[in-house]
Amino acid sequence: MGRDTRRSRLVIVALLIVAFTLITLDYRTGRSATGARGVVHSVLGGVENGVTAVTRPIGRTVSSLAHPNRYHDRADRLAQDNARLRRQIADDGQVTRLSKELSDLRLLADKGQYSIVPAKVIAVGDVTGTDWTVTINAGRDDGVVVDKTVLNADGLVGTVSAVTAHTAVVRLACDPGSRIGARLERTQLLGAVAGGQGPSTLTFTLYDASFRVQKGDRLVTFGSLDYVAGVPIGEVTKVTDVGGLSRTAEVKPFVHVGTLDLVGVVVSRPPADPGDRLLSPRPLPPQPTAPAQSGAGTAPAQDGTG
Amino acid sequence: MWDILDTEESVRPRTVVAAVVLLAVALVAQVSIVARLDLPGGRFDLVLVLLAAIALIEGPLVGAMSGFVVGVLADLASSHVLGQSALVMCLIGYAVGLVMEAAERSVAVPLAVIGGASLLGTLGYAAITSILGEAAMTGGEAVGRALAAGVYAVLIAPFVFPLLLKASRRLAGGRARGGR
Repeated sequence: MGRDTRRSRLVIVALLIVAFTLITLDYRTGRSATGARGVVHSVLGGVENGVTAVTRPIGRTVSSLAHPNRYHDRADRLAQDNARLRRQIADDGQVTRLSKELSDLRLLADKGQYSIVPAKVIAVGDVTGTDWTVTINAGRDDGVVVDKTVLNADGLVGTVSAVTAHTAVVRLACDPGSRIGARLERTQLLGAVAGGQGPSTLTFTLYDASFRVQKGDRLVTFGSLDYVAGVPIGEVTKVTDVGGLSRTAEVKPFVHVGTLDLVGVVVSRPPADPGDRLLSPRPLPPQPTAPAQSGAGTAPAQDGTG
Repeated sequence: MWDILDTEESVRPRTVVAAVVLLAVALVAQVSIVARLDLPGGRFDLVLVLLAAIALIEGPLVGAMSGFVVGVLADLASSHVLGQSALVMCLIGYAVGLVMEAAERSVAVPLAVIGGASLLGTLGYAAITSILGEAAMTGGEAVGRALAAGVYAVLIAPFVFPLLLKASRRLAGGRARGGR
């Protein structure tokens, strides 16, 4: 029963043909959240939202299950009280953490004068682990539209790639299809940051080949019609194209993908470009090393302090 | 197509439906719970583990069909090309189902097979995205993640496999399945 029979081979061949057909048909067309995809997105998004709401305070669920409602004697009542207090402590920790994240996010948004819609991450990636996306619990009804910038307290998270009524899919900056205009700190030099190197590395390409990118340079978003300017992206860790014109570099993003929780969607642009205001103040370099560095390469970023 | 299902030597729709429902629940659990755990090295793939276990118990037909249906569902829920995880899951379900005979001989076989299926499946996902020109990670990272997925799968298989075996026997009901 169920072994490698002619029938089962027939079935698998049919299924493979369907799979290849789907891939071929879908590869050429855009992949927006409409039609069947939209339905699945909104249904699963709702379920994911529910699951996250249930599993978030884990300690709470566990302790309330472990102590059913029985008031027969004093020991039970005390155990009940104990469980309730424990639950309260767990809740307090959760609330404190969340409020800190929220205030950090608020602080960053105020610095850049962004109008943000806060949202929680309710699903990470997809089941294959090859999609660099997260799903958040804010959607069209909250004012989120496609292509808006998403940030958290540390910096740039990504951009909105699809929205349903109550959820949205955010394409992370490290997605291979992601390409975001970036500007080097304290200069007006432009480039683009692209993903595809895994979650903790971005590739920065400088458009002006005459300028040397240096290790430690920081990047903010350039901004365009949809994307806002001035959101911190990351710091250059390695200049990859050393021999030639130093146009590409590896960038370590400020945002850690693994711990994403509270994010903000920037729904309206600030009246003026915030520049580098959002980057945290750089600690002063130790004095002995400063001359050696400025002698090695022309570094306008280090010479000009303003 | 359904006359294939109705024949005596093949599977019953009820089994496929139960497998698909279970895997669909795992799909949501994978992105909402497992992906948030931030485990060292990578993460385990709940869907692949369950799929491999189901295919081991029920054979290649159930494995291929439930893998395909859930794969399409996963593709619809994601933002990548439609059909790519359907392809991988369908192949994994079929291939694992082929060794169902061997699984009855030793306890180590299901463990190895489920671990291997997670490893190969994770590699398969990475391979197919890079074939389509949408590689999400470098080759080394893909291998590392696949190895981690395999190890985690071996760790959770002893909990999952007996449960599914029991459920399968119950679902089979009056059918003389206990004799095997």
